[in-house]
Amino acid sequence: MEPSDSVGDLNCTMEAVTLSGGPAPDSSTGQKDTSPAVMLRIKQQMSNQCFEIAVQLNAGKSKRSCSTPEAERELPDYVDELERVKTNHFNSTLTLHRMQMWHAIGEKLKQNDLEAEALKAVSDRCMALCSHIKELQKESRDLQEGITEIQKKRLEMKRLTHEKMKEIEVLMCKKEHPDTEKYRAALEKGQANLEKYKKMTIMTQNVLRGILLACKVNWLDDPVLRDIAMTLEEFPVSD
Amino acid sequence: MSLLKPFSKLPGLNTANILLVEGEEQFQQSLADALVEETAFTVNVRLAKSLPLPLENEESRPRIDLVVFIINLTSELSFQSAEASLKYLDPGYFLGKVCFMVTNARNASVPTEQLDAVRKLAASLHCPLLFAEDQTPDGVTNAAERLMTILKVAAGLVPMATSLYLSSLTRCTVPLDIDQPSFE
Repeated sequence: MEPSDSVGDLNCTMEAVTLSGGPAPDSSTGQKDTSPAVMLRIKQQMSNQCFEIAVQLNAGKSKRSCSTPEAERELPDYVDELERVKTNHFNSTLTLHRMQMWHAIGEKLKQNDLEAEALKAVSDRCMALCSHIKELQKESRDLQEGITEIQKKRLEMKRLTHEKMKEIEVLMCKKEHPDTEKYRAALEKGQANLEKYKKMTIMTQNVLRGILLACKVNWLDDPVLRDIAMTLEEFPVSD
Repeated sequence: MSLLKPFSKLPGLNTANILLVEGEEQFQQSLADALVEETAFTVNVRLAKSLPLPLENEESRPRIDLVVFIINLTSELSFQSAEASLKYLDPGYFLGKVCFMVTNARNASVPTEQLDAVRKLAASLHCPLLFAEDQTPDGVTNAAERLMTILKVAAGLVPMATSLYLSSLTRCTVPLDIDQPSFE
């Protein structure tokens, strides 16, 4: 506990002076000159406080009979209910205030004096502004619709472009086709020829290799023979 | 360490007692001055920097009807001291006899987390959260008026209303989007 704390607590106790000669906080002598209304109010306060104390006492009693998990389970429901009621209450209060205000304004307008004139002017201005807002909103809505329309058109255009692109691609494929038809025969013929000559070459290679082995010539000594022997591996034996 | 209890003492006749707790003592005094201008009944304003309250004037202290924690949003310390003080309050106080008053919330330099923390604190304790402007006299009067409304109920001066009943209407609830990051 800090010393300044206690000082603050001592010094700053303040008591308002009651206008109607109400009783001092804890003296019973001041009660003689209080009006009945004040007495009634004090009685009301005391009964309120007694009620609160009684509630506190009862809460302490009933605490033992209620199980904690059950209470915890039910708590969110109660909180929700409370929130709902609270919102309802606030909304009703708001509506009530609004109605009261409009009623007051209506009454004021009926009085037809200077303030009513001012109010009328303000409400006229308000009306004008509101209609202007409405106009602007309509305009913006129209513009928005125009934008949507244009966007739709753009989308349609895009779709069409895609379609056309696909058509063009198909056409391109078809165009390539006759060319390949024309060359296919020549290509196949050339490839068959190539295969034929390849086989012949391989056979010749094998024969040559056989001759070289049979003659038992040292082909490494003769440069011409060596070149021939080195090139014998060029085409691999297929099978 | 003494727990402050709401029903440990008898209430005074035609009085309402309010305790303003503020760590930095900036707003307390002006608010207290505005509060005691109420004339229909006696308002006792007690000021403290933090809880627990000192033991030496335990006897002379009246029953406290309403505890107000004033939190300056620009200082982290005031929030921490209020949070530390909460431990010294009886649970009975949280049934409508505690409220938080936030100042400087309009200051641009305040990080939003700070306000969120205060809101979460108030919501977790089911206490009302008030915002006040402490720089202008109008703001002070306004804040005093709002506190007075709660104080009247807490002290039993309003017929047919108790603080528990009022708190169910005024307590702070955390909005659902407080944890979600904003996509800006």
